Amino acid sequence: MTAFVARRLLFAVALVFVVSSVALLLTRLAPGDVTAELGPFAAPEEIARARARLDLDRSPLEQWALWLVRAGRFDFGDSFLYGRPVRGLVADAAGNTAILAVVALAVATALGIPLGIVSGSRRGAAAAIIRSVSLVCLSLPPLLTSLLLVFVAATTRWLPAGGMTSVETLDGGWGTWLADVAIHLPLPALALALPIAATFERLQAQSIAEALQQPCVTAATARGVAPREIIVRHAWRVSLRPICGVYGIAIGALLSGSFVVEFVTAWPGLGRLMYEALRARDIYLVAGCAAMGGLVLAAGMMIGDLLLAIADPRVREQESL
Amino acid sequence: MLAGAGALIVLVLVLRSPSSEEPAAPAIQRGGQVIASLRSEPRSFNRLVSRDYATEILTLLTQGRLARINRATFELEPWLAEAWESSADGRTHTLHLRPGVTWSDGTPFTADDVLFSLQAVFDPKAQSVLASTLLVGGQPIKGTAPDAQTVVLTYAAPSGPGLRLLDNLPILPRHKLQTALAAGSFVSAWNNTTPPSELVGTGPFVIREYQPGQRVVLDRNPRYWRRAPDGGALPYLDRVILEIVPEQNAELLRLQAGDLDLTSSELRPEDYVPVRAAEEQGRLRLIELGVGTDADAFWFCLKPEVKQGKDPRFAFVRQPAFRRALSHAIDREAFAETVFLGAAVPVWGPITPGNTQWFRPDLPRYAHNDAVATGELSTLELADRDSNGVLEDANGTEARFTVLTQRGIGTYERGTAVLREELAKIGVIIDVVPLEVGALIQRLLACDYDAIYYRPILTDLDPAGNLDFWLSSGSGHFWNFGQKTPATEWERRIDTLMLEQAASLDPERRRQQFGLVQQIFAENLPVLYFAAPRLYYAHSTRLRGVVPSVQRPPVLWNADSLSVTN
Amino acid sequence: MRRAGLALVALIALVALAAPWLAPNPPDRTFSESLYAPPTRVHLFGGGVRGPFVYQQRLLSRLERRFEDDVSRPVVLRWFTGGRFVSVPDGEGPLLLLGADARGRDIFSRLVHGARPSLALALAATLAALVLGALVGGVAGYAGGLVDDLLSRLTEFVLVLPTMYVALSLRAALPLVLSAGAVFGLLAAIFTLLGWPVVARGVRAIIASERERDYVAAGHALGAGPWRMLVRHLLPSTTGYLAVQATLLLPAFILAEATLSYVGLGFPDTVPTWGTMLQEAANVSLLGQAPWMLAPAAAIFLAVLGVNLSVQGRGRAPVQLEP
Repeated sequence: MTAFVARRLLFAVALVFVVSSVALLLTRLAPGDVTAELGPFAAPEEIARARARLDLDRSPLEQWALWLVRAGRFDFGDSFLYGRPVRGLVADAAGNTAILAVVALAVATALGIPLGIVSGSRRGAAAAIIRSVSLVCLSLPPLLTSLLLVFVAATTRWLPAGGMTSVETLDGGWGTWLADVAIHLPLPALALALPIAATFERLQAQSIAEALQQPCVTAATARGVAPREIIVRHAWRVSLRPICGVYGIAIGALLSGSFVVEFVTAWPGLGRLMYEALRARDIYLVAGCAAMGGLVLAAGMMIGDLLLAIADPRVREQESL
Repeated sequence: MLAGAGALIVLVLVLRSPSSEEPAAPAIQRGGQVIASLRSEPRSFNRLVSRDYATEILTLLTQGRLARINRATFELEPWLAEAWESSADGRTHTLHLRPGVTWSDGTPFTADDVLFSLQAVFDPKAQSVLASTLLVGGQPIKGTAPDAQTVVLTYAAPSGPGLRLLDNLPILPRHKLQTALAAGSFVSAWNNTTPPSELVGTGPFVIREYQPGQRVVLDRNPRYWRRAPDGGALPYLDRVILEIVPEQNAELLRLQAGDLDLTSSELRPEDYVPVRAAEEQGRLRLIELGVGTDADAFWFCLKPEVKQGKDPRFAFVRQPAFRRALSHAIDREAFAETVFLGAAVPVWGPITPGNTQWFRPDLPRYAHNDAVATGELSTLELADRDSNGVLEDANGTEARFTVLTQRGIGTYERGTAVLREELAKIGVIIDVVPLEVGALIQRLLACDYDAIYYRPILTDLDPAGNLDFWLSSGSGHFWNFGQKTPATEWERRIDTLMLEQAASLDPERRRQQFGLVQQIFAENLPVLYFAAPRLYYAHSTRLRGVVPSVQRPPVLWNADSLSVTN
Repeated sequence: MRRAGLALVALIALVALAAPWLAPNPPDRTFSESLYAPPTRVHLFGGGVRGPFVYQQRLLSRLERRFEDDVSRPVVLRWFTGGRFVSVPDGEGPLLLLGADARGRDIFSRLVHGARPSLALALAATLAALVLGALVGGVAGYAGGLVDDLLSRLTEFVLVLPTMYVALSLRAALPLVLSAGAVFGLLAAIFTLLGWPVVARGVRAIIASERERDYVAAGHALGAGPWRMLVRHLLPSTTGYLAVQATLLLPAFILAEATLSYVGLGFPDTVPTWGTMLQEAANVSLLGQAPWMLAPAAAIFLAVLGVNLSVQGRGRAPVQLEP
């Protein structure tokens, strides 16, 4: 078990290193640089100064080497857009996204898995409705889903139509802050969770339908075991295999933030930061965000593999866990 | 001392009496808060080193200037300086500072702060972005302070705008920033991690807190020097919140829902209908700000160093007759209708009717006439020789161009679509390539393009403030940047006229000279303009004291006189 | 269920193929008098003419989007003329069955024309991603050990690579104006690269546990080689999963085309696609008055429903939860 975790952690570190280097170099090679932020008609001296601040006057390799050396000391450079060290910016944003991701994952699991079991194990109106709703969620782009949810929130005033906190928390304490974040969470969490819930539902429906075809299930029915028990005790765990494979990706994708949802609902998270960094070619921020994104994706997939091992003893054996 | 007190009492009585003759105005409610939206975060709280829009708004709200240009009347108003005299040659200006003004932390405001700000702007180590806007005759403005309440400014040459330049200079506190300037770290002083208690100013509000990614909260400055007409303290509002909402559609939804009182920019033409519906339900007030001061522009890269000999089309593109023909080919009325849904006025040059002081209605206009256009093109030996719908010149080079534009802006998409259709009728074919803004600007700077359709913003309404656009050597002369010597005769003439105009003290003569510049521009058409939008804006019905302006920010420029009702 | 799904897919394919004939107008024709126009109402009887007719629409105010039907002039629909199924004479009309978009283009025509690039691209990419993912996942799951480790890490690496950065760099490296064919190939390649890791992970998970089953041991005992084992016996156990992935990847790719076109890697402006049409509908306050702008979402839903019913329709399950 420890060998497994150690191996994967080592790999995660290597992955982060490779991904952030690739992001750094790709941003350097992409057209345009951060001086576009100064507007099209900035004076040449201003442009030169801005470039020097981000080490853009050095060659790409030299800049990369410099960055590596500093990264070893956990100094990831400064952001041009925000005028602050990248480390603090990325950590704050990742934290905000993590809050959102955990809630969204919980909602997606709570919605997708049970609904998938229902629609996969029976026929009739309920299954058809669940299938249709899932497919609608998959057919709408996240931009539209988020905007529609903002529209609903804005017109019904049940929930705040964006942001992570209200201005009233300025003078309150921890309790007020938590409560405030809690009412701001449903909107972006739902926007994030719906497509993922739909994915889980479809996968689960397929898996459980297949699992129910197994001989052990027929045998159990013949023995007179109740349908519900059959599903829960026999079919379900077997059906989790492909879902666990995808669960890790879902965790990672959620933790690295969805740009569209965070942009539309004004949630100050990692996805939005990554996109802004990329748009402005804020090179050190880009590398920092890519590193964090890589880290959480690798972590997510490791968790997914662990879940798979828990769910399926056969896998456990061969991974020698 | 007694005489002074007596004079003060008399002064107060005198100032109070006229107001009792006015009809009783509805009582302005004090207190309350206004929520405005911002699209992006402030990069810094120091306007001298950062020119992004969020920093500009924050500076308008928290800092003061010596004199301010009223954005509705375009008059220069006394602000931190209450009176001034200028010498006859326009080079020496003596400003008398308003007495009794203090910074928001109680420190008295003196001439030393003015001198410090000037020093910071022109100090090369401070890397100020304002330096180029405050040069007169290419030289920095020099200042001296004979006493604590007087500042004498010396210009190196006569200046057309004169003291209007002072609107560009926010006065920053010496006692807070002097150490940073001396240590050479001014460029990162007052960055956005600075604790709000350090950010003192003479403006109506002070920054209470910056919550990164979410909002900036400003509270009223109890030490604000300006008084209301009834003698009471300003500002009326207790708090201004600048909420960060990056997405424009979401911003509109929240405005309609009442989450926001003000948006950061004018409405898009397609937003008119839902806002009008909200106005009819009494939830919003829709106002017309006026005609915008900037119009969409279409230009070819005319840099001989890049194009001559390498691009066979340059032979005819560089001729003004080619551009005049294109101008004739566009039906500007239809353009205004399609691109701005009718909410626009046709324009033929960079100065629009929105710039009331400098617009000239008597300039050459190119009427929509395809026959005339084709005639002009045939003088350049362009004709459709192989009947494929595309013009070719004598060597067979086709008049086909790639036009770059910024992706995602509705007016650019519609504008380029109209251009493509109209120009196809005279045989000029364009392929539109929308790019994201970083790539677009990179190609613009490198002259790595055929033509661009974009709306460049001229920062100053006064042409002497836009010399980087008008002068051939300027960094804003976008069809041919930074020329060492003028590439064409007409650019040379414009250079001479503009430099004269910038140094002339006679407003009438300046207007005349600039009219001539606009005439030359209209004859040679380095850039084509089609329509300037009528700007619409919406705000919540609780706001009072709104004085709209066509410049940004449309309402917050006058934030100290804003109030709310319930 | 399965037959309903196949019928739906066939219908959509037919519409896509017959688009130039079905569409009343060319997809990129702009009617400058009809920005955001509502759908033209088709009247079946009355008006003093024979056959279905429409009234010509008059623009009252562009900014306020107000239109009016000119009831004095009924325009009879023409059938099978000018190479189109149904149309109106030029200058009378226009015939906007689903209204017009922000630039005055007929949404219905763009919808049927857009079926081709959107669906063809998504289907091609989905198939390629499924095949590639199944192979990689299968090999990883079956081989185990070092091969499994390497392939799994490769999968993760591709997953982690930030797509937007790659897309932006690609845009820079390529010429400014790309032909529709070149864009198709490029996007298909990008989507395949995006899609295969997800498929591979699921396939690997299934195969890794199937590997321990008795029939595999039996196969080994009978002398089956690894490839035969993999392709003929193990991979078929993943068909259900692959079927679901097809349903998931298809709409994702249709929508992703719009995201990539934002970076400049999409089809040229003259080619309508469902994804970009939906992005134009992002002005949500508009949707309240112009719900027909969501038609592409309905089209995507129908296409995905058809595919899902076809591949995920199943036989009788022996156990059901009784209602």
